[in-house]
Amino acid sequence: MADHKHHTSHEEHLREQHLMLDPMPRGKMNEMVMEAMHTTSWKFWLVFGLLAAIVAYALFYKWGVMILEGLGVAGVNRPSYWGIFLVNTVFWIGISHAGTFISAILRVFKAEFRRPFTRAAELMTTFGLVQAGFSIFMHMGRVWLSYWLMPIPNQRGLWPNFHSPLSWDLLAITTYLLSSTMYLFLPLIPDLAMARDRTPDGTWQKVFYRTLALGFRGTEGEWTHLRNALNIFAFAIIPVMFSVHTIVSWDFAMATRPGWNSTIFGPYFVVGALHSGMGAVVMVLAVVRGTMKNMKYFIRPEHFEAIGKLMLIISMTWGYFFFNDYIVQWYGGDKWTKELLHWHEAGPMGWMWFGMLICNVAIPWAILWNKKWRSTPWLLFIVGMLINVGMWFERYIIVPISLTINRMPFTWRLYQPGIEVWLGIGTLAFFILLYMAASKLIPLIPVWEVQEGQMAHSLKKYGRETVVTVSELE
Amino acid sequence: MAEEKSLLAVFSDIDPAADAIEQLRLLGVHDDCMNVISGIPVTEAMLGRPSQWTNVPRLALGGAAAGFLVGVFLAFITPNMYTIQVGGQPFTPVPPAVIVMFEMTMLGMLISTFVGVFFDSLFPNYRPMHYVPEISDGKIAILIECPPPDTQKITDVLKKLGAESVKEAEAQHL
Repeated sequence: MADHKHHTSHEEHLREQHLMLDPMPRGKMNEMVMEAMHTTSWKFWLVFGLLAAIVAYALFYKWGVMILEGLGVAGVNRPSYWGIFLVNTVFWIGISHAGTFISAILRVFKAEFRRPFTRAAELMTTFGLVQAGFSIFMHMGRVWLSYWLMPIPNQRGLWPNFHSPLSWDLLAITTYLLSSTMYLFLPLIPDLAMARDRTPDGTWQKVFYRTLALGFRGTEGEWTHLRNALNIFAFAIIPVMFSVHTIVSWDFAMATRPGWNSTIFGPYFVVGALHSGMGAVVMVLAVVRGTMKNMKYFIRPEHFEAIGKLMLIISMTWGYFFFNDYIVQWYGGDKWTKELLHWHEAGPMGWMWFGMLICNVAIPWAILWNKKWRSTPWLLFIVGMLINVGMWFERYIIVPISLTINRMPFTWRLYQPGIEVWLGIGTLAFFILLYMAASKLIPLIPVWEVQEGQMAHSLKKYGRETVVTVSELE
Repeated sequence: MAEEKSLLAVFSDIDPAADAIEQLRLLGVHDDCMNVISGIPVTEAMLGRPSQWTNVPRLALGGAAAGFLVGVFLAFITPNMYTIQVGGQPFTPVPPAVIVMFEMTMLGMLISTFVGVFFDSLFPNYRPMHYVPEISDGKIAILIECPPPDTQKITDVLKKLGAESVKEAEAQHL
């Protein structure tokens, strides 16, 4: 009798812990997701309005000022021609990697914990790339001539030089932006159809969902085409994701500059992107869980625990790549490289170098080894935020600080940012603003994927132990 | 020949829907005259249905080939259209071309996969269609095309097998 009670409470405990073992009727889950979308407090609108004002001032007004006045209002100057614009470009592309990593890689490896938050991560990819695009266009200065990058014949009689990493950047980022947007949209179609079915006629929302759902009903054919497409996307978008940040790293590594000309920069950048991206995902999930209605059912401590483990592994990998990059350059003994490494650690911005190591390595390692701590949403939010601070520092060290030291000491000058600080704040506010708007327009939880996962999971008794089993439904 | 009628039977679960499909087949309803509509992807094997044909992988392959050719064009042909010789540098070097060809191949593949879903599913389709909103709430519906004299017999069998409702399907705007 006591044994039976023990097993029942163990089963209850498992169901409480795991979303996949705690199914609800599909209609109820749909209702919860729709309710989360439609329940909006005054606090939401306050933050939304504040962010909209910041975007209007810091992004659009200040960018307008820079267009009118010229790039002189920015701090970029000899020898640091690449400043915060490029730091932010690399940063936002990094953020965008988490969506694909979570959605595609975890889908390929059938990691079941991914199911409720794939969309939240995919949205970050698309919106992160939008900010990366903004940052590149700002960096151009004469943004109205940006079409010169496109491979179209023009009056200059010139084609873009495809031997240049900057042209590869254009191709890679465009490919990634288009691919990730399509990859966001495809699994969204069934949820848009669900929203269409649950929205009353005669409202603008009905028109919106009806248009975007494209007439999806869920026929066998539609599901087959969709499933095939998602499989192709999941496999194909992974090398695209890797290529994007590798190519971004080549913008630096292809130059024979001290500190940049490193064969390990590609994978080092990719791991760094995943590091900041995972940190951002966990921040978004903590906020969504804490502020949106019914989200505590879908996003549970088990998800933070799983992401926390990934963050720990990625942090260790980042530390490994960082040290590998550092030790080879340090051991090489090149005069200017040594000068640069000394400048990183002991120069006026040395605090940033140490801050980077504390945020990217020391803090994650100190906290994420503990299961209880890494299952605590608010703590993971803080760790995610610090990782992002650390990764932003890393990009700042690579871009303007490394540019300060070159083979011509008479040009050495510490980079002092100007209007780009405002523009950076503007992109951050715009990212959050887009995310907040999306959370009210599209279902953040892929309900059909959650239900599919719940169907595949069950509890089975082996002897006296109750264990979780997962079936292969595809 | 009398015009075929469409019946829409709604089930709450996969098992009775699978049983119903088997029974319909015994009643002489061909697989082509049935279509299952569901709120989650239910595999053909679960329902005992024939495999669905999809062009998506073939279109993806075609798109990849087209993308590759665009990459070849950009990397190897365009430099010859507007020649700019840079001293000591190869005119059409292969390593950078690999990057351009890779990106264009992947872009071609993914765009054609995306378009393939639209093409095969006939999206967007805003015409009236046979559907009930309960499907997105987890119900499984079987849409059956049958001759009018068989409708009563089929309705009775489906209800006996646990159909929540069996009614003549009406095309409606979604």
